[in-house]
Amino acid sequence: MVFICLSAFYSCTIDKTNFKQETSIDEEKNSFEEVVSINIDDYKVYIEALGGQFYKGYNKVKVKIEDKSSGEKLRFSEVNFLPILTNSDTILESCPHLYEMEYHSEDQSYHGYVIYTEVSHTEFDWRINIGFTINGNIYSGKEHIVVKEQPNKNLNMVSFTGHDDKEYLLALISPTRPKVAENNLIAGLFIKKLNSIDGDKTIDEADSSYSIVNHHKILLDPRMPEPSMGNHSSPNNEDLEQAIDGFYHGIVNYTMTGNWTLNFMVFNEKGDLLKGTEVSEDFTPGIEGEKSELYIDILF
Amino acid sequence: MRTLLIGLLFVTVNAYSQRDTNKKRDTIIAPIQLKEVVLSTQIDAKIQNQLKKSSTIDELLSTSESISFIKRGAYAWEPLLNNMSSERSSITIDGMHIFGACTDKMDPITSYMESNSIDDIEIQSGQEGNMQGATIAGSIDLKRKKTAFSEYRLWELMYETGYESNNNQLFKLAKLSFSTNKWATDATFSYRKADNYYDGKGNEVKNSQFNKINSSLGVAYKSSAFSSLRFDAILDVAKDVGFPALPMDLWLSRALITSLSYTQLLFGKENYIWNTKAYFNTIEHYMDDTTRPENLVHMDMPGWSTTYGVLSNLTIDKEISTTEIQFNAYNNQSIAEMHMYPQDRSKQTMFAYSWPWISTFYSGIAIHHLLKISEKNKLSAGMNLGAHYNHSKYPEFNWIFYPDAPKEKTRFLPSFTINYTHYSTHNLSFSLGSGYGHRAPSVSEGYGYYIYNSFDRYDYIGNPNLKNEISYEINASANYNKKKIKVSAKANYFYIENYIIGKILSLGSPMNYQSVGVKGYTSIAHARLFNFSLQVQYDVLNNLIWISNLGYSRAKDDRGKNLPFIRPLNYSSLLRFNQGKLGIQTSLNGDAKHIDFSPEYGESPSSAFMIWNLSADYTFFIHTIKNTVQIGIENILSENYTTYADWGNIPRMGRNLYTSIKITF
Repeated sequence: MVFICLSAFYSCTIDKTNFKQETSIDEEKNSFEEVVSINIDDYKVYIEALGGQFYKGYNKVKVKIEDKSSGEKLRFSEVNFLPILTNSDTILESCPHLYEMEYHSEDQSYHGYVIYTEVSHTEFDWRINIGFTINGNIYSGKEHIVVKEQPNKNLNMVSFTGHDDKEYLLALISPTRPKVAENNLIAGLFIKKLNSIDGDKTIDEADSSYSIVNHHKILLDPRMPEPSMGNHSSPNNEDLEQAIDGFYHGIVNYTMTGNWTLNFMVFNEKGDLLKGTEVSEDFTPGIEGEKSELYIDILF
Repeated sequence: MRTLLIGLLFVTVNAYSQRDTNKKRDTIIAPIQLKEVVLSTQIDAKIQNQLKKSSTIDELLSTSESISFIKRGAYAWEPLLNNMSSERSSITIDGMHIFGACTDKMDPITSYMESNSIDDIEIQSGQEGNMQGATIAGSIDLKRKKTAFSEYRLWELMYETGYESNNNQLFKLAKLSFSTNKWATDATFSYRKADNYYDGKGNEVKNSQFNKINSSLGVAYKSSAFSSLRFDAILDVAKDVGFPALPMDLWLSRALITSLSYTQLLFGKENYIWNTKAYFNTIEHYMDDTTRPENLVHMDMPGWSTTYGVLSNLTIDKEISTTEIQFNAYNNQSIAEMHMYPQDRSKQTMFAYSWPWISTFYSGIAIHHLLKISEKNKLSAGMNLGAHYNHSKYPEFNWIFYPDAPKEKTRFLPSFTINYTHYSTHNLSFSLGSGYGHRAPSVSEGYGYYIYNSFDRYDYIGNPNLKNEISYEINASANYNKKKIKVSAKANYFYIENYIIGKILSLGSPMNYQSVGVKGYTSIAHARLFNFSLQVQYDVLNNLIWISNLGYSRAKDDRGKNLPFIRPLNYSSLLRFNQGKLGIQTSLNGDAKHIDFSPEYGESPSSAFMIWNLSADYTFFIHTIKNTVQIGIENILSENYTTYADWGNIPRMGRNLYTSIKITF
């Protein structure tokens, strides 16, 4: 009894860090909400994203199609999703995305992803084309959406020109909330195709301008760039290799929170280096860590 | 588990205890039926052999030949028992387990006490110290002063103040005791403030200042003729303490140590003493690097350690035997955080746990039995069985280096000790003993995460999978005691399996900018340690005593390489002259050159040194008020030296003049 009273009376001079709270996922941003809805004949199409907002970089997308008269969620043979970017010069292109969406019965919706390459502003305008087929009838619709800057640096991306003179895009997919721990690192690697898309093409004829790169290998070297950290790195990391979902999976260990640089080297299926340089392992206190020519900065 | 323990308890109830039958009893007990007050004289005897009367705890401890120190500055030295680091000893205050809250060991338990509240320091070597829990090196128990009940109302007020010239240290110690036949109270207060000290060449050692306030209160109530209840509390606050050997100083450390105990003489007999105590202590420790402009990065490293526990002790004292049974249980939570601030403060801070919320639960039962077989032969034996459980709240930190490490771990820690003493003549006795015991890795060794060690400049990573350290120990001593001469020789040898020490890891890179690499706490196959000490006391004249000590130690790892922090050949020699109320003493002490240093573990050799000290004291009465004045000089020749265990080879204090006055009302 005495002890309880004493300990209640005796509080700490400095409060402990509430680590659980700091690292727990922001619930609000973790739920799917409507970004936009499109009316197509008798149907209403809902496009949903986390927090009801699209950001530059990787976004999960859900599409729900509802029969307006019955309010019933419908399932179709195929739902196609195509993001299109128009800029002031009216050059149209797409970005990495999943064109044929996958149906998930648990929430009666079609799941996909999109990796926006630009933020919407006066010169860049994004729209989404949706197409689906019912009883042999093809329906399609489009709607403008707004893409904002991604505040979460763990979903950063980088585009680069490889030593084969082709344009690539490397985008972080996971973890969105890294931990001071071993993290599964997932990234998408895409190649840009030169043919651009005519904005008047129908959705079936459309061709995305990025496609997944297969059978490459991405070497990983995570480091803390802060000068005082002296090029600090972590142990037990694993390079990224392509998994069945088409993305590249590896392991990154973060030894503390803060700024980290993920240094990459991308090799093609023949083992030729496409981009990236090896990073010095030297401990260099007081000097900002040297980066690979291919890197992505994260922060948590 | 519990049934197993109780079962074993009965099997071994005939085992023998190590303890001396004449061992001083807790002073609460003795006076229960007392006519007069019994006050301990033990500490005073010790201070007689000390040069300084107003010693700090560290100075008191250093009078024991089995204690050496790692020094990181002028304050809070880490005591090494039998040349082993503090995680290998069990350090307690009145049997209470307390764990420091600093990952850099800035706060050994001994730093949370002050000498004016200490009655005795009980040091047991090796497994003989297993009464308080699992240990390898032994136990150090700081026993607080406890005034006895008295039949008439009794007051005592002691006030002591002093000054030390080298570091401009001012200290004030006060103690108030009050007792009646129902109540007994002790209150102490102390204050020390010191500036930077100066080495033997007169150079200022920056960041070596300290400020400390310690207060304690003990209240005992005689609940019946055969029982008493006692409440104790200690509050210790240290502020702005410099650690020149470390890259950081201490901004604030605060400890609250409380206990409630109940003592009963069973069957109303004085030789059946049962004492039960519940305790709670909490320590907070905040480092500060803002006074070190050389630091590239500003860091905050707060640490917290909270322990609560119970202990229950039954001592049965008979003519030919003494049995002591003690149950210990405690729960500790250790948390240490590391915040690093980027140079651009608007950026997000970098954060990690150096102790990721580690809980430790220990429970154990110890039995010691001592038997006088005959007038000439004495046998004692003891055992302790402990269960030790660790839990990590954020095991993902440890998984970075040890991906398969368990989140929780239970260990069993058995310990046995046996000792035989033979008195071959009235003056001469020999004793031979042996011990076996386990210990669990400490929080840092098991779960530490990037703990920077400024001695070898490595970041240390704990390994939750470390095996128990297992000690096999033999010890022997010989004592010769004639009228004028006393000679005592002691030796012990430890063979320690799975000895835990830092080894360079091939993985990972340093986190602290000063460090050069990452070391992981690793179990090496074994280590061997040998300690020897010789003490001679000779009464040259009735009022002239000469006391000398010689110590020698040696320790090697499994590859035959030297272990670090093993004290080189050392000696001390003291001459004390007493004439009535006047006492004069002079002493020499020193270490030989550190030949057997350990370059493998980051040690560089230290040179031999010899220190000469001198002091005089005079006691006089003004009416009934007793006054003792002392004046002395330490390191008269102002030798500039560092010892083998000074971190960062920070030089020790040069010439120091001190003076104090002690007034007892």
